[in-house]
Amino acid sequence: MHDFSNDFDSVTPDIWMLNEAAWNERLTQLPNWQKIPLINSNASHNLPDGSLVRFRGMVQDMHNPEFFFEQFEVFNTVTNEIKNKSGKYTDTAHILENEKINYTENLKSAQRQTIVVVSMPGLNDWVQNIEDEHNHLKHLNQLPNTSKRLNLNNLKLKRTRDESDEDPDSMDVENVGGGIKEQRTAEVVNNASKVVSREHLLNFPLPDVPSKSCIVKVYDDNDNIKINDMIEVVGFLSVDPALSGEFQVEKDPLLEPTCETEAEIITHNPPPSLVPRLHAVYIKKLEHCNPLVKGDIDQEVILKEAKTAREHLLKALKELLLGDELAAEYLICHLIACVYLRQDTFTLGQFCLNISNLPTKKYPNYAKQLYEIIKQFVTKSYYLPLTVDNMNTMALLPKKDYECNRLTSGILQLSKHTHLVLDETNLEQGQLHATGVGNITALGNLIKLQKVEYDFKYYKMEFDSDINVLVLSEGKSLLPNDYHIPLRPEKDSLEIFDAIVEAATYYLKEEIMNTIRTYLTNLKLAKYSISENLQFVEDDFIEMRSNSDSDSPVTADDLHRLLVLARLVSLSRGYDTLTRECWDHTKKMEEERLQRLKNRVAPTL
Amino acid sequence: MAMRDYAADKEGFKNFFINFCQTDDEGRKIFKYSEQLSKVAHREQISFVVELDDLHDMNEELAEAVMKNTRRYTNMVSDVVYDMIPDFKHKEVAAKDTLDVYIEHRIMLEARNHRIPGEMRDPRNRYPAELIRRFEVYFKDLSTSKSVPIRDVKAEHIGKLVTVRGIVTRCTDVKPLLVVATYSCSACGAETYQPVRALQFTPPPACTADECRLNKTAGQLHLQTRGSRFQKFQELKIQEHSDQVPVGHIPRQLSVYCRGDTTRRAQPGDHVAITGVFLPLLNSGFRQMVQGLLSDTYLEAHGVTCLNQSDEGEMAEPLTEEELAELAEDDLYSRMARSLAPEIYGHEDVKKALLLLLVGGVDKRPNGMKIRGNINICLMGDPGVAKSQLLNYIDRLAPRSQYTTGRGSSGVGLTAAVLKDPFTGEMMLEGGALVLADQGVCCIDEFDKMAENDRTAIHEVMEQQTISIAKAGIMTCLNARVSILAAANPAYGRYNPKRTIEQNIQLPAALLSRFDLLWLIQDKPNREKDLELAKHIAYVHQHSMQPPGQTRALPMKLVRRYLGLTHRKHPTVPRSLTEYIVSSYVELRREARNARDVTFTSARNLLAILRLSTALARLRLSDVVEKEDVSEAIRLVEMSKQSLQHVDENVQRGISATDRIFAVVRELAGTSNTVKIADVIERCVDKGFKPDQVDACIEEYENLNVWQVNQVRTKITFM
Repeated sequence: MHDFSNDFDSVTPDIWMLNEAAWNERLTQLPNWQKIPLINSNASHNLPDGSLVRFRGMVQDMHNPEFFFEQFEVFNTVTNEIKNKSGKYTDTAHILENEKINYTENLKSAQRQTIVVVSMPGLNDWVQNIEDEHNHLKHLNQLPNTSKRLNLNNLKLKRTRDESDEDPDSMDVENVGGGIKEQRTAEVVNNASKVVSREHLLNFPLPDVPSKSCIVKVYDDNDNIKINDMIEVVGFLSVDPALSGEFQVEKDPLLEPTCETEAEIITHNPPPSLVPRLHAVYIKKLEHCNPLVKGDIDQEVILKEAKTAREHLLKALKELLLGDELAAEYLICHLIACVYLRQDTFTLGQFCLNISNLPTKKYPNYAKQLYEIIKQFVTKSYYLPLTVDNMNTMALLPKKDYECNRLTSGILQLSKHTHLVLDETNLEQGQLHATGVGNITALGNLIKLQKVEYDFKYYKMEFDSDINVLVLSEGKSLLPNDYHIPLRPEKDSLEIFDAIVEAATYYLKEEIMNTIRTYLTNLKLAKYSISENLQFVEDDFIEMRSNSDSDSPVTADDLHRLLVLARLVSLSRGYDTLTRECWDHTKKMEEERLQRLKNRVAPTL
Repeated sequence: MAMRDYAADKEGFKNFFINFCQTDDEGRKIFKYSEQLSKVAHREQISFVVELDDLHDMNEELAEAVMKNTRRYTNMVSDVVYDMIPDFKHKEVAAKDTLDVYIEHRIMLEARNHRIPGEMRDPRNRYPAELIRRFEVYFKDLSTSKSVPIRDVKAEHIGKLVTVRGIVTRCTDVKPLLVVATYSCSACGAETYQPVRALQFTPPPACTADECRLNKTAGQLHLQTRGSRFQKFQELKIQEHSDQVPVGHIPRQLSVYCRGDTTRRAQPGDHVAITGVFLPLLNSGFRQMVQGLLSDTYLEAHGVTCLNQSDEGEMAEPLTEEELAELAEDDLYSRMARSLAPEIYGHEDVKKALLLLLVGGVDKRPNGMKIRGNINICLMGDPGVAKSQLLNYIDRLAPRSQYTTGRGSSGVGLTAAVLKDPFTGEMMLEGGALVLADQGVCCIDEFDKMAENDRTAIHEVMEQQTISIAKAGIMTCLNARVSILAAANPAYGRYNPKRTIEQNIQLPAALLSRFDLLWLIQDKPNREKDLELAKHIAYVHQHSMQPPGQTRALPMKLVRRYLGLTHRKHPTVPRSLTEYIVSSYVELRREARNARDVTFTSARNLLAILRLSTALARLRLSDVVEKEDVSEAIRLVEMSKQSLQHVDENVQRGISATDRIFAVVRELAGTSNTVKIADVIERCVDKGFKPDQVDACIEEYENLNVWQVNQVRTKITFM
């Protein structure tokens, strides 16, 4: 078994290709998967060029396919030797000075896809820390591996240049994320005529968050990989510095007219030290990115453990929501919700929760504090303060940039099961510009339809999303929502909120936290079914219809909403089917919530 | 595979060019290619277009060979044409540019220098063919061949002729591209020619002319711009249409190189169809060292056509087998209707009406008169009955549509506005939603809240289908051939069946009568229907799919394409049906007189029935309206009337409520004799009564002469 991993340490593309099927087989059965270095946790410059590595992230963009030479002949002008080589799993032809590629004969070209993968947007620190613990390979740091790299001279040259004018920002960014990670000399594009910022090259959806990205070359031609998918790639690393677009020679534009602008070349060929290339041998789609949830999920175990975890969570949330148990229950449902049915224009399962009446007068930072705790529970989340300024300036929607020929990311380009927390408590009166209106509409569409419209300038395209949106506000939010609940704080709790936060942090020990984290991820993946007999639901609906007054009629939407909520209520309690009990409880919750809405008074807190 | 006999192919082309002829309408024979040849010979035409359709007729096998190896055959045809041109040259050609003069000189010089008797030598031979050829050969793809999605243009297409469609996202300036470089030697004066086939070239290091070579002078070479031949060159990038992209993928792009006549055909944003040869491009120089293993690919354009919106993409292509099979299933009408907004349960008749609106009737213009074929529909109903959802869906489905609200979001409003250009100070007309939706659907939400001036303008739009503007000295008439789909909320929040439509919607009868169908959508609790709805929803949640009992909804794209097909039909009403229609109309009128009619049955209804029945015939892709169409149209009109007349059953239960309201009024009146109705309504609403119940009570007791209500209905006076 140990041998296996050793093999994987030293395998090269050429060895791999000799017996591709066998290697693939061995890879999928590999017991110590994490022995393959994960770039997310190990800096890529510590790894030799051409070694097998892993990367985990979200598909951010897809470029045009590339044609490469699967087989070509190399002619040695000194020895007159003819060798056959392959361009698969590599970017550069490893040819010697006196060798020449024969472009006229025995050339076999093939196609490979190029996708841009960025590290999971919104991945929370605790996940990254656990990942690092599992995957950080200490021995890599000690290796004098720079010698293994291809272009030693070139690299040295770069080092000296970098030492003189390093970008302090980029170093900071590196340190925030991992903590354990070794400092990495960032290459800064500092050619006077082609200044492109690091952020531009990384093209990460969320601003001000450290990130990594990779350009992945995919060899098997299938359409399975979609944009915003979470994937784990195993592939050969390619970090030859010569791949950087800034080393392009000057061309004479008259003699060689070309469509690619300089910006495009630089964007598509970022320095490999910043954006390494990966030649994928295996791509795994990920259903979740919680390191605490391993292997296949066992439905029964999940359901059994659900109850205790729920109690812990409910206790903590109830305290944090100032003693409001109903709001806490809704929040739990929100945290485990995900889209489970999608048909043309119709989606089921989205659960946009609006908690209003927050005690912002007393605790101006309440929303942020609440988020800080939620962040500890879920794997991926993002906090977006909804202010006029933010709305007018931020790029929420991804947009195709034809100048650089890539999809410039926006905040709403998130992988599934990401929690987006919108804080409306800081919103003030002001003028929304065209961008602002567009952004608000985009948020509205996301909430209502779970679709995000990407701007391709000549047309727009809708992409499905699965983002849980939580809106925190004083009054009713200006955004649409599925469930709106005004918070009803208890007087006593209101006084001692700071103490509560402290107590909660104390109560939520690592062990309990991990239970809750596992619980939240598991329930999103758990299966749920409704038994055939739904007589009680039907009867209740008819009764509700006939009792409803015409000013607030009970419609089909209400029944959908009730059934979605019932699903989450059942699941959160560890039932994988709808029982009468849960149904009644669901009805009670909704009744109580609607009652609160009716008797809503102006926020006094 | 055996090598093709290229010499035979060459002969084949020669024969084809000479012999191919078509007969035109008057029976004359036209030698298409011979004519082209003589035009090319006289420098009247630059591009020489070979239509593969024609070649296919003459020599099927050759046409297929051309499609597979287009580059080679392009060169071959160039050679053939080049050889044939002298035979087609009947008169001297006046030199058009310097290069013509230059070439003429060189040929004359060459001919003079080599006057060796007995040698039959073409004086053109010493010069590279590319320099002297002043024509370009293009192939036109078979009209039967389908366009390949950009995504599917792969390695197997290399060297082949493909047609792709897409949107131009970028195009470079048109630049001169060197085709033949001409150098003159500084030592011996001899000229050296270098044909350039790639995008870049390396100038030869030294003169290779006999004189220099023998003397070993190695003279310097200088590029002669005037003697070199340049070609127009432009690079385009095209991107896939949004409907060609699989779900969850990013649109792909393709580079297109245009030369000579194919340049300047398109601009960014244009929808184009491009026929060309898919070719690899080798990197060279430094790039080759770094990325030697990559080859870029491009499409060498043979023809660039801009597509206009109407025949672009999906509409132009015929339905596939599967799609036809899907459509062939029974009862297409109901199925298509159900496929509209499938997430909204029920409302089948409304959906049917909307489907007919999308199909539209046929415009008629007898003797200068103009009878519109577009169908206008107004949806009314209480808030929250999915009116807006229906409108939204139609807006998304219709190939050309505008969605707006009655209030209008821009200053232009619904019709048009005259704006002053801030730079030139000129007055300009800017079309509003109705003008922009010309030949499409205009969805107007909150129709009742429309601005006054728009309301007057919409009268004209709905009958004459034009908008006349007389503002700021500009008098004009704009086309607005639109179907209007309006949604209106009742005036007092809820629809009151006791009142007429005008009172409920607060729109003048003149405007309402212009709608072919008025539809009141109400959502009333009804045990059976509710149970059905509950079962439906429960099923969706149980099985994560729509119930199987129902027919599956057709995909939006298919519906859209089918609608495109229906628009090609122009059915007529046969004379035999006239009587039936007339008698039905008379019947409608009679009923309307007898019953307490809240709607208007007028001649406009007759037109509506005709429009609906032609739309139904169109939907069947038939050229003749049948009796069933007419009866279905009448049924829809009936149903729409019924939806309006529907009496609220809940009022029946309100008898006790009436009594209680009476008590409230009594109490409110106290000692005085008069009560304001506004007060009554306010008090009763507080107590949980509905305004229409109050109205009912007031009316009832008025009839009993317990009290009197003043003319403007603001006060109650006890008798």
